[in-house]
Amino acid sequence: MSHEASEPSFADEVKAIPGGEYLELCYSCGTCVSKCMIQHKGEPEFNPRRLLRMVMMEMKDEAFDSRTTWLCSACDLCYAACPQKIHISGVIHAVKSIASKNGKHTMIKTAVVDQQTCVACGLCAEACPYDAIKIIETKVPYRGMIQVADVDSSLCMGCGLCSAVCRSTSIRVPEEYTDESVVENIWDWLQPQEVRS
Amino acid sequence: MVDAARQPRIDVRSYTEVEKVEGFVGNFKVSLREKAKYVIADRCNGCGECSRVCPIEVPNYFEMNLAPRKAIYVPMSQSVPLIYTIDTDACIHCYKCVDACGSLEAIDFSQEDKLVQEDIGALVVATGFGHFDPSVMEEYGYGRFPNVITSMEIERLNNSAGPTAGNLIRPSDHKNPEELAFINCVGSRDKRYNPGCSNFCCMYSIKNAILLKQANPNVDVTIYYIDIRTPSKGYEEFYDRAREMGIHFQQGRPSLITEDPETHNLFVHAEDIALGTVTEKEYDMVMLNQAAIPQPDQDHMSSVLNVAQSPGGWFMEYHPKLRPMDSPTDGIFFAGACQGPKDIPSSVAQGSAAAARASRILHSKEWEIEPTIAVVWPDRCSATTSGKPCGICEKACPYGAITITGNNPPEITTAKCHGCGGCVAECPEDAITQLHFTDAQILAQMRAVLAKEPEKKIIAFRCHWCSYGGADLAGTSHFEYTANERGLRVMCSARMDTDFIYEAYRLGAGAVLYSGCHPQDCHYITGQLLGARRAKRLQKIFDRMGMSEGRFRVEWISAAEGDKYARVLNEMQAALDGMSSEDLKKEIDELRPEMEKRLKKFPGVPGVAEAMGYSDLLSDAINEQKEAVR
Repeated sequence: MSHEASEPSFADEVKAIPGGEYLELCYSCGTCVSKCMIQHKGEPEFNPRRLLRMVMMEMKDEAFDSRTTWLCSACDLCYAACPQKIHISGVIHAVKSIASKNGKHTMIKTAVVDQQTCVACGLCAEACPYDAIKIIETKVPYRGMIQVADVDSSLCMGCGLCSAVCRSTSIRVPEEYTDESVVENIWDWLQPQEVRS
Repeated sequence: MVDAARQPRIDVRSYTEVEKVEGFVGNFKVSLREKAKYVIADRCNGCGECSRVCPIEVPNYFEMNLAPRKAIYVPMSQSVPLIYTIDTDACIHCYKCVDACGSLEAIDFSQEDKLVQEDIGALVVATGFGHFDPSVMEEYGYGRFPNVITSMEIERLNNSAGPTAGNLIRPSDHKNPEELAFINCVGSRDKRYNPGCSNFCCMYSIKNAILLKQANPNVDVTIYYIDIRTPSKGYEEFYDRAREMGIHFQQGRPSLITEDPETHNLFVHAEDIALGTVTEKEYDMVMLNQAAIPQPDQDHMSSVLNVAQSPGGWFMEYHPKLRPMDSPTDGIFFAGACQGPKDIPSSVAQGSAAAARASRILHSKEWEIEPTIAVVWPDRCSATTSGKPCGICEKACPYGAITITGNNPPEITTAKCHGCGGCVAECPEDAITQLHFTDAQILAQMRAVLAKEPEKKIIAFRCHWCSYGGADLAGTSHFEYTANERGLRVMCSARMDTDFIYEAYRLGAGAVLYSGCHPQDCHYITGQLLGARRAKRLQKIFDRMGMSEGRFRVEWISAAEGDKYARVLNEMQAALDGMSSEDLKKEIDELRPEMEKRLKKFPGVPGVAEAMGYSDLLSDAINEQKEAVR
């Protein structure tokens, strides 16, 4: 009788990544879900408990396509509340990195660098809470082989901190949170009540 | 309880603390502190006149501080024995009670604590459990929100003999609440506080819900739960009954309770697992079913009784399945939740079993113990040879069975010895031996198994209760492991003498496994700790000597871990396979002088020299036979 370990399961893969170790302790109490601010404020489908379940049930594709995988901001409100002390954002991060390795892309609008104006000062890389920005050397049209900031889109959570610290407005998060739209918003709030759109 | 008090052969000592327990099975000497009640027990008839005139009111612990009691009090009207007690912390010495007592003259302010010593044959410990304080879980707001109460408080609020005479009111405005919620597993099944399940909360929350619903048909009760555990006879039917009565069960552990500051109504935030949506429902009152935890002074009791505690702090039983009511010390028994959270039927069963066990001792003139006890050779002890005992054995004994008086050799109280062999292995003079596990006997086994091609053999020291069981399970489960393993059984890892390990290598053993129970499973209270300390020391010595990695391994394997036993052995074999026989032999040849230096005293141990010769003869005989067969 042989007791050799078989192929590593999805759960094994997740557990092998630091942060994912305690995945299987989850007994589905749902505390994380009702604690989650993302769930609360606009993503009713966001459900860390279900994502953990998907991992344990070998539901790879579902987990990769789940909004939970990509939208977690790792605020760790659930970590403090979890009675099993599971680092849930760590598990989610593990799923995300496996998904990235499998060629999946984030659903979030991530930060974009304007290589033409970037001076590679490194402020954005220092500010990024997700370690998503690195200074790389690359060939840029008209500028030749230079150093510029580079965003790892699988790590970026689109928080915009980089955009706020950038001195040359070379890095920004597209769509609704550009500098222009934020200024427009503030301007709008500063107007008297009756004028506000 | 009244029946017990009436029984002439039962002596109830209330308001009395156990201060010290000495002696052994059948012969305990128990020191008791009978605290001063300031009321003469023989004269008090429990009329309560004193309490009525007492002007001082303090919170009554029995009513979960929801109602007052006087400074002279009984906690409840059915108290046994019904003798009033003066709480001197609260008493202002107005002596109104003395006047009220009148001609009975039962009140005596000059009373003092009395120290008494009793001869006791057997002890049954039934100190019960304590309650987890939910105020540390800020998310539930206990202590901040008046209408969040505990299960013990609702027990009193819904009791017809309780402070409200059974009228269900809520603390904030004394109105009758209509929307009620129970939250299960508050502080239990929670690795931040108590990882274990409190066993009976599911049932009592269902019971409380049913009682509330019966007394107040218009209330709406919801129970929030992670899992409902109703495993005993009739329990599941009880759960069915609750659902049929319209009690709502919502799976999902609440993460937060918030309060409306005006109405003091509460909002419970939880995911409904069945629907997969987050719910936020409004309730008038929320009850927290807090975890059962060991009594606050359980640690103190454990040192008074010299009984070990399990990891959670509960008293540790001799064996979790076969001897749940026995403590590891003969003559001390457990009844009820002091040994672990349990419900009423289990407590009654355990209490009856403990009483039966105790009566067995009271009715015997002799008491049978394990035969594997330790025996001292006084002439080898340093007390005899150098005039001063080293005292190591006394410290090593988990049972306090070894006593050293003055400069005399140690004496072992045989009735207290359980035969772990810790003292035997620890003794630097080899002045103690363990019957049936003498150095000579173990050595003879070792020499026999290492008689041929010792460099290919893995000697596995296993403790009787755990790793030996693990090896056994590996066998019965057909987990394949290396055929080069040779198991040697001792009672506890505490018995695994450094001499054995050195001797094994001196004889040329390929590898040695030092295995025993996990620390919390030890059958000899702290025997494993002794063994583990020694193993760590050995590991360091061998590392310093330059022994190859994998030749000495320390593993704690329970009787349920057959797979682990097989895996460890296979890993050890793989490590050996990585080296050639010649290298293994060469390494041992290099290390042998080191081993011999450490084994200088060993042949002097009575029987060891003979055992060496005997097993040599034995292995010669075996070899001759094998040659003849060829």
